[in-house]
Amino acid sequence: MALKYLGSALLIVLWTGVGPVSAQTATTELDVTVGHSTDQVEAASSQVRIFGDAIAGWRYYFEGTWAQTWGPTSDAFGSAYPYDKRVHPMEMYGEKTSQFGPYVAGVRVGRYRTPFGIYSRTDHAYNGLLRAPLIRYGAYWALSNNFLEGGASVIAGVPRLFAEASLGVPQDEDLHSRRHGLDRVVRVQGAVGSIIVGASHIRTLPSEARAFARGRAEFTGVDVRWMHEGVQLRGEWIDGRPFNGTRTFGGYVDAFVHRPVMGPVTAVLRAERLDYLAGRASSFPRRYIAGARIRLSTMLVGQVNAVHEYGYRGRLANSALDLAFTFSTRH
Amino acid sequence: MRRASIATVYLAAAVAGSSPAVLASSGADIQGVAQVGGKPQANVVVWVDVPGALTRADSKPVLDQRNFDFNPRVLAVQVGSVVEFPNHDRVFHNVFSFHDGKKFDLGLYPTGTMKLVTFDKPGLSRIFCNIHPHMVAYVMAVASPYFAVSDEAGRFTIRDVPPGNHPYQAWRSGGSTIGGTASSNSETVLAVRWP
Repeated sequence: MALKYLGSALLIVLWTGVGPVSAQTATTELDVTVGHSTDQVEAASSQVRIFGDAIAGWRYYFEGTWAQTWGPTSDAFGSAYPYDKRVHPMEMYGEKTSQFGPYVAGVRVGRYRTPFGIYSRTDHAYNGLLRAPLIRYGAYWALSNNFLEGGASVIAGVPRLFAEASLGVPQDEDLHSRRHGLDRVVRVQGAVGSIIVGASHIRTLPSEARAFARGRAEFTGVDVRWMHEGVQLRGEWIDGRPFNGTRTFGGYVDAFVHRPVMGPVTAVLRAERLDYLAGRASSFPRRYIAGARIRLSTMLVGQVNAVHEYGYRGRLANSALDLAFTFSTRH
Repeated sequence: MRRASIATVYLAAAVAGSSPAVLASSGADIQGVAQVGGKPQANVVVWVDVPGALTRADSKPVLDQRNFDFNPRVLAVQVGSVVEFPNHDRVFHNVFSFHDGKKFDLGLYPTGTMKLVTFDKPGLSRIFCNIHPHMVAYVMAVASPYFAVSDEAGRFTIRDVPPGNHPYQAWRSGGSTIGGTASSNSETVLAVRWP
């Protein structure tokens, strides 16, 4: 816990060190989202972000969130933030990225989303898909989009092929937060033409109590993105164990289609699976989502998802319609 | 206020074949101020139409992606310019333009890399990122080497304009394009005003 607010401390240091001739900048963003799902879930959330340039090429980033759902337990709207009626600090870090001839190197220090696979906030938050991938939702025995690291991450390589390594401790903002201990994450990313491929590995501690979950959690994943003429395909496949004696594997494929003729509409599709192997507790959920993100104005986006899912242990197949509106402003 | 007028010298057809002729020397500067409702207006593009104007040699326009934003917000270029779109964020951006002007989609590309777009016809291109909805920029391609973008105080300077009176046009985001006559022979500050 001592490192929980390392990010804020770093930001204060960077901020107070800013001199009158520095390249200091500050951008503030506010997002407010309201949503309704036919799963009898209502949701409201807000996020505040402050980011910009600090000194000597360093940049800072801070994000806080508050979100709440009303209704039965559901993963609806939980794509990138915890919906638990509390204010959470999310990412708080300073970073510097430099290029030396053909080489790129960077360091990020503070509190940041676990750099595993497709992990950045904007990869998942209100991008048209209103639920986190099964393999990235904390309750489903794998990773969570709300996993955060407190520590340092470095990247090194050339822009089209670099490695990222993170060493820190878990600082998750998730109902299924990991136990404390040392976290190691490594990731390699390469880009060839329009294809971007990554491979990641994490060795961390389980989310469950020590008496129930022995050993370490360990996952390996591959991720691919491809984009051409307004069509983006992306996906991840993750395999590993949340703790000894179990195995979780699965993945998802997303499509985002935004052709000129579609104007403000981006069509979104997702197909995904997750297999949790734990004897009688095993579960094999499958989910398919079709929907759209519609830019209603420069500050208002509507999102609608038709969801069909089945295969959860002890639950019937379910179909739902999720609807959300996100108001965003930036200063 | 106004710099000394110097005869404009063109290297017209200096290079035979397909290489563009280059605007090589200076005329006079036109200085001005842009206002909306009497208040200074930044990011106004003002350009002067001069028949037979050639290509500006030192143009290397860049529309940077940094801190989840485009920099500059408004970029003016001469038709035919190749604009660099570097990504200086650790996240991916997906820059596209689907509206009027140049239509393109640059796809995803990582930090430290850049893509190029040739703006080969005049007009406004509205630039967005399909991943970060707050990212918005404008590229105004004009068929003239004589243009400028106003600063935060509304001031602008159009450099090296040949002597004489020339029609000008001005554009700003959210407003209509207006025009008039600008003189490079006068020391008068050109006032570009929207009500």
